[in-house]
Amino acid sequence: MSGDERTGLNRRTFLKVSTGAAAAGAGLAMPGKGFAAGRKRLATLIDLSRCDGCPGKDMPDCVGACKAINRDKIPKIHEPIPEPWPRKTIEDWSKRREVFNRLTPYNYIYVHQAEIDEGGQKRIVFVPRRCMHCDNPACATICPFSANHKYENGAVVIDQELCFGGAKCKTVCPWEIPQRQSGVGIYLHILPTLAGNGVMYKCDLCNDRLETGKLPGCIEACPQQAMSIGDRKEIYALAEERAKAMKGFIYGKKENGGTATLYVSPVSFTALNGTMKKQPGMPDMGPAERRMAKTDKMGKAVLQAPLYGIVAGVAGAFVALSRRKDRVKGGDDRHE
Amino acid sequence: MSDKIMNDKGLVVRHDIIELVEHWAIALSGLLLLVTGIFELPMANRYYITSLPGLSWSGDFIKSLYIHYAASVVFVAAAVFHLLYHGILGEKGMIPRSGDLKSSIEVMKSFFGKGEEPPFHKYLPEQRLAYLGMAFIIAMLILSGLVKTYKNLYAPDMSLTLVLWATWTHNAFFMLFILAFVAHIGAILLKPNRPMIRGIFMGTVRLDYARHRHPLWIKEMQGEKANMLTDAESVAKSPAPGGDDVGEQIGKEAPPVVASEEIVGVDQEEIREEEKDKER
Repeated sequence: MSGDERTGLNRRTFLKVSTGAAAAGAGLAMPGKGFAAGRKRLATLIDLSRCDGCPGKDMPDCVGACKAINRDKIPKIHEPIPEPWPRKTIEDWSKRREVFNRLTPYNYIYVHQAEIDEGGQKRIVFVPRRCMHCDNPACATICPFSANHKYENGAVVIDQELCFGGAKCKTVCPWEIPQRQSGVGIYLHILPTLAGNGVMYKCDLCNDRLETGKLPGCIEACPQQAMSIGDRKEIYALAEERAKAMKGFIYGKKENGGTATLYVSPVSFTALNGTMKKQPGMPDMGPAERRMAKTDKMGKAVLQAPLYGIVAGVAGAFVALSRRKDRVKGGDDRHE
Repeated sequence: MSDKIMNDKGLVVRHDIIELVEHWAIALSGLLLLVTGIFELPMANRYYITSLPGLSWSGDFIKSLYIHYAASVVFVAAAVFHLLYHGILGEKGMIPRSGDLKSSIEVMKSFFGKGEEPPFHKYLPEQRLAYLGMAFIIAMLILSGLVKTYKNLYAPDMSLTLVLWATWTHNAFFMLFILAFVAHIGAILLKPNRPMIRGIFMGTVRLDYARHRHPLWIKEMQGEKANMLTDAESVAKSPAPGGDDVGEQIGKEAPPVVASEEIVGVDQEEIREEEKDKER
C-alpha cells in the first residue's frame, strides 16, 4: 500500500483539491492559494485505527506541533488580572502553559487514552480531541460580538482581538471546547471588572496556515498519518469507505447537527464514550444534540414576520379606507 | 386615526384601538427583547440574575434566544404594520415638520420655567423628532436582527463583513434603544406631559388639557369635520348607504359646524378665558 493510499489525502492531493483542477499540476508550487483562498468546504478525518498516541514521546506529535505553532498566540497577561464583579471567576492558565493532557487556552488538542474491554481482551484506543468545527456552530452564531466566526472553508475561528471572554461559546458547545484565559483581550480597555473576563481560545484549524497552502500543524506532524484534510465530500466518502473496510463506526457526521470533523473507529463510540468522563477541558463523545435546533422554528417565524406585518397593514388600511368612505357617505345621508 | 372631541364626557379621543395595540405590542415586545438581549450578552449568570426567583432560565442562552425570537415576531410584524397602515392612510402626524428642532428647544426651555410653550398640534415637536429617532433605531434593530437570524438558521458561514455589520449595528442600536426608552419614560413623567399618560392607556385625554395645550389639534379635528361635511355635500348626488358614524359624532359635538376659522376663533377665545380663570 503506497503512502498516498494510506493517508487518503496527503499534502500533495490536499493542494490539488485546494487550488482546483487548473492548478493541479502546480501542487506545491502554489503556496498562498490554499483551501481557504479557494473557499472550498473542507473536512478533516481522524482515523482512530491509526493513532498510536506516539509512544515513547513526551507528548503526541500532533499536540507538540499545535503547541509550537500557537506558542506566542496569547499576548502577555495583565498582572494583576482584574477581579470580575460580582461573580469573581478568574481563569488563568498562563503559569501552566505546559499542560497537554486536556484543553486549555494554551493547548488546543490532547489525546485521550481509552482502555476498552473487548471480550475479555484489553484494547487501547487513542482519541485526539479538539474543536469539531461544526456545520452550524452555536458557539459562533450566538457570539454577541461575532468574535467567533465560521468561514466558508469550514474553519470556526475566534478573533482574540474581539472576544470579551464571556464564555458563552463554551456554554453552548456540546463538548465545551473553548477555554478562557483571563487578563487578556479587549475587555481590559473597556470595563474590566464589570464586563468581559478575558479571551476564549480553541483550535482554529490552523486557518492562517490553510490560507497560505499549508496543512494544519497536527495533521502535518502525525507520524501515523492518522489525520487527513480535504474537500468535504471526499473526506465524507473516505470516512464511509474506511468505516466499511474496518467494520467500524463514524462520529461527527450527525453530532451537533453535523461537523467538519469525522472520527472513524474500529470500536464503537458508545464504548469509547464509556471511557470518558466529561470534565473541564475534557469532552466526552456522547450523542450531542444541536440545542439551537429548538429555536429554528421560531427563527423562521421571525424571518416571516415582515410578511405578517405587510398583510395585516395592507388589509387593515383597506378596511379603514372603506369605513372612511362609508362614513363620508353616511355623513352625507345625515346632512341631507 | 379616529380622533374626536367628546364634549359630553370632557374627553378627546387621542388614540384609537389600533394605535393602542400597535404601541403596546411594540413596547412590551421591545421590553422583552431588551431584557433577553441583555441576557444574551451574557450578563445573567455573572450578575446572579439566574438566582432570582422565576429567572433561572435567564442563564440559558437557547431559551432566552427562543423568547427573543418570539418577541421579535410581534415587534417586527407590528413595526411593519405601523408603517404600511398609517402610510397608506396618509396619517403623518408624527412625522417631523420644519421648525420642529427650534420649537423643541423652546418647549424644553419652558419645562424649566423659561418662556411660554407654543400651541401644539396633536404631538409635541419633540415627540415628532423622538418618533423619527425611535423609528430609525427600531428599523436598524430589525434589519440587523433579520440578518443575524438568517445567519443563525441558514448561513453561519456568511461573509464576516456582513456578520460584523449586523452584530455591531444590533449592539449599538440596542444601546440607543435603551437610551431612547429611558428618555421616553423620562419625558412622559415630566409634569406638563403627564395628562398624556392616560391617552396611551385609555385612548383619551382630557378635553380641557387638549384645548389648553393642543389647540392646533382641536382646530384640525374641527376643520376635518367641516371638510368631511363638505365632502359629503360633494357626493350627495350619488345614492349613499345608511352609515351614521359621522352623524353621531357631529351630533354630539358642539359647537355646530361652521367655517374652520370661526371654530378656531371660538377655541382661542375659550383658551384665553381658561387662562384668565387660572390667573384669577
